[in-house]
Amino acid sequence: MDWLAPFQNMPALLGGLVTTIWITIAATICSLCGAMLIILADQARLRWLRQLVRVYIEAILGIPILVLLYIVYFVLPDLGVKLGEIPSGVLTLTLYYSPYMAEVLRGALGSITTGQRDAGRMIGLSDFDILRRITVPQSIGIALPGLTGLMIGLAKDTAILSVISVQEFTYETKLVVSRTYAPFEVWTVVAATYWVLLTCLEQLTRLGEYRLNRFREMR
Amino acid sequence: MFNSQLMLDSLPLLAQASTVTIKLTVFAGILSVVLGTLSAMAQLSGQAPLKWLSRAYVSLMRGTPLFVQLLVVFLTLPMIKIDNAAFEAAVIAIGLNSGAYVTEIVRGAIMAVPRGHVEAADAVGLSKFTISRKIVLPQALKTCLPALTAEMTIVLKSTPLASVISVTELTYTGVLIQSRAFTAIEIFLPIAMGYILIAQILLRLSRYFEARLSLRS
Repeated sequence: MDWLAPFQNMPALLGGLVTTIWITIAATICSLCGAMLIILADQARLRWLRQLVRVYIEAILGIPILVLLYIVYFVLPDLGVKLGEIPSGVLTLTLYYSPYMAEVLRGALGSITTGQRDAGRMIGLSDFDILRRITVPQSIGIALPGLTGLMIGLAKDTAILSVISVQEFTYETKLVVSRTYAPFEVWTVVAATYWVLLTCLEQLTRLGEYRLNRFREMR
Repeated sequence: MFNSQLMLDSLPLLAQASTVTIKLTVFAGILSVVLGTLSAMAQLSGQAPLKWLSRAYVSLMRGTPLFVQLLVVFLTLPMIKIDNAAFEAAVIAIGLNSGAYVTEIVRGAIMAVPRGHVEAADAVGLSKFTISRKIVLPQALKTCLPALTAEMTIVLKSTPLASVISVTELTYTGVLIQSRAFTAIEIFLPIAMGYILIAQILLRLSRYFEARLSLRS
């Protein structure tokens, strides 16, 4: 057993970890934007647009993310869209997670009764103000647990990007393993790192959830 | 531009590979349901060590990527003198991972069984084991079937990860063909359809079981 191996290769591993973290953040932001686009498109008057979105969602629900990754990485260049490894990865994660996030957001927005919106309109608030002051502040606390779950899933799925040689945490780990011949020790340390970071993320948002939902207790 | 001949030629290979995908899904699914049920019962057993063991298992599986778990299992098996077992490693890793999610599903379903049923069975003098087998689990199964089906489609959708330890299932076969043919869409289009088809079959099967279960009560 060579428990020093993972620590001697810290710089490479940490570099990969940083890439993983910022890909997670970028893809989460893109997916949230994608989710809002989906919700908007679903309310559009154009029938073909609504149907297109529905077909897209059905397809995403049925296709494994690895297959989607290969489609983005191998098929898009044939169609004339050439992306690098990291943009392909972020695009895949965005395409895959947007429908799920849209579902969570839709549920949260739907939980605000129409009476509140009507009341807002009665006292003369604009549509945007109703969204900003009434709907979003209340629904964000409801959406947060679902969104966090998805974000953790997304963070874990960044490991898959290593198959198209995005140099993130898992990819760097594989390199270190092939250099040190200490697979068990290195993977254990890496798995522990993933676990600590993701558990912290979960606990942190639980705190945020409490703060955001605090107003409910006061009734 | 679209080479339909290539697509037709690769269909038999892909069909053959999808049997491996289905086998992976079924074996990993069975392992995950068995593990998940045991772990859920451990969590509700009231015995502290069992409870903590089950909690640790769930937290570990949910807190690390399946990709990493797969590689760890694959690399650990040779250490206990099991070699060339990529398929088995994939079944174990996916089953272990999904078992954590099944734990939560089954736990919720068991807790939803009315307390009075258990008390009544206890009063009649049934043993704990009989209460589990005859009263609690059958009712829990009915509640958790829709969620279990969703989990099984997730299992199906995680099987392509087995390709990283070179199990020649549907996706890996596609990658192999693609790397020789230098064209992708003709290969990955049928693969995507294949997964959607298998997921549909799963869904229909579960609907059938759901209908049968509700007929019985």
